[in-house]
Amino acid sequence: MKKKTKKPIAKKITRNGKRVLLERLVQQQSDELKVKNGQLRNGVEKQARSEEQIHIRTKAMESTADGIFIIDAQNQDFPIIYTNQSFQKMTGFAKSEILGRNYFLLYGVGVDPRIVSEIKHTMRKGKSFHGEMLNFQKSGKKYWNLLRIAPVRDSRGAITHYVGIQTDVTLMREKEIEIDEQREELLHVTRVGKLAEFVSSLAHEISQPLTAILSYAQAAQRMLSDREPELQKILSYIINDDQRASEVIKRLRSLLKKSIPESKPLNINALINEVVELIATDAAVRKSVIKTELDVNLPLVRGDRIQLQQVLLNLISNSFDAMENGQDSREILIRTMCKDAYTIMVAVKDSGCGIPAQNIPKLFTHFFTSKPDGLGMGLSISRSIIELHGGRLDVENNSDSGATFYFTIPVDIKDV
Amino acid sequence: MNSRGPVIYIVDDDVSVCRALSLLLKSHGFKVQTFTRAAEFLASKHPKVLSCLVLDIRLPNINGFALQEAMAKQGIFTPIIFITGHGDIPMSVKAMKAGAIDFLPKPFTEKKLLNAIAQAISKSKAQNKKQAEITKIKRRIKTLSLRELEVFRLVAKGMLSKQIAQKRGTVLQTIKVHRGRVMQKMQAKTVTELIHFAQKAGITSF
Repeated sequence: MKKKTKKPIAKKITRNGKRVLLERLVQQQSDELKVKNGQLRNGVEKQARSEEQIHIRTKAMESTADGIFIIDAQNQDFPIIYTNQSFQKMTGFAKSEILGRNYFLLYGVGVDPRIVSEIKHTMRKGKSFHGEMLNFQKSGKKYWNLLRIAPVRDSRGAITHYVGIQTDVTLMREKEIEIDEQREELLHVTRVGKLAEFVSSLAHEISQPLTAILSYAQAAQRMLSDREPELQKILSYIINDDQRASEVIKRLRSLLKKSIPESKPLNINALINEVVELIATDAAVRKSVIKTELDVNLPLVRGDRIQLQQVLLNLISNSFDAMENGQDSREILIRTMCKDAYTIMVAVKDSGCGIPAQNIPKLFTHFFTSKPDGLGMGLSISRSIIELHGGRLDVENNSDSGATFYFTIPVDIKDV
Repeated sequence: MNSRGPVIYIVDDDVSVCRALSLLLKSHGFKVQTFTRAAEFLASKHPKVLSCLVLDIRLPNINGFALQEAMAKQGIFTPIIFITGHGDIPMSVKAMKAGAIDFLPKPFTEKKLLNAIAQAISKSKAQNKKQAEITKIKRRIKTLSLRELEVFRLVAKGMLSKQIAQKRGTVLQTIKVHRGRVMQKMQAKTVTELIHFAQKAGITSF
């Protein structure tokens, strides 16, 4: 536009005889204008490009499943100036309820105040926060929040904003809690099982002499026939008291009968994997590695899941103990295989100290233990569980180091 | 020794239980032999007299159930009364299914034990009678010629003389003669009785 208005002026000057000079001037100016025009065009394009990039970034932030928010750090109220949709979904608040509001006001009353003050403290120090906490949605629904908050600084290093990302880890948490509960349940069953086995073997030990006493007394009564009425009376007292004691035992036994084991089809490999998962933490603490070599083509077995897990846990924790003092590789190898068409075998091999030959015959009897604080119940319970399942539990020392416990278990008939 | 009276065997690893039960049963006029290990019992002599085994389930090495199996394999038909300090239901079911007379949780009274023994003795009687009969039949079978034995088997399978003759390619009359001799040697009055003999001696199964 400017070009056109200047041309007539140039013509007038030409008439004054200075045409050449003026034309040169005009040319110069129009070149400058061209350059500026080009620069302008470039600028517009650049801006368009950067707008596109911002658009892409915003879109990316909007479409991620993590909740993202930005806090204005220069405002004392720490208001939220941006949230993505996932954040709104996670917290249950609408965008209008969030923007301009203090971030911590969104937490709800149930949040642990210690964590909140820890986050605030970290933010004030200009550091990044990273942690997991229990949060509440607007509706009051709980969710586990993996929260990361980091400061954003300007070119001079002053904090202008905080950017936060939160991830809903409720499902993972629940899984962990479930595993913890399973472990607790197993421990409980083990404790109850130990008590039951203890009472049962106590009952057995006591019933032996009671049987003898009763029979001695009845034999004596019979030998006396109708002589010595006083002695007869004493013998009948002995018999009465013997029966009183055996009533106590009967009652104890009937208490124990309540724990009837289940009999369900089980995948022994899945069961082993569960146990390995349950004991993973213990394994790490004991600096031991648990490896498995499971035959994938095994048929199902029939039995009580908890009881069989108890046997495995017992064998594994014995292996931990056996490897306690060995410094080199602490490794437990659990293998499954088909012994024949009707029997599955499970072997638990360790690289521990092995079992002194003279202890092997006593190993599975009640109250036998080589540990200073052992009860001597674990292996005897394990053996009776396996025998109840129709299998056998036995042990052999390895040719190199450690021992291998192995048990058999019959295949579920329906699966043969 | 009174060879007629029944013998009670006791297998229990608790010496005092063995002694007490032995005293009690002797006071009732039984002959008693005690063992603290299953293997000792298996290795002992088993005369064909009326007998009964009072057997503890928990024994070192060979337990009560394993002894029960071993006895069946060796053809020792002494009826068994199980006794145990671990009286639980699945165990008793297992014992009874395998043919035990009774399952007594310790401690048990004299009365319960004597009842079980009486039952066991009457089973032992029936058992001995059956065994004696089988022995008798087997002795008679040994007197048969090969040809007669074959005819016996085929008759026991339910074949008629005519069919047997056809199968053997002989005349009916020959078969009839063999058959008559079989009946005579086996001391069977009827064909039905002959078939019973075959079943008892276990010769129909092939």
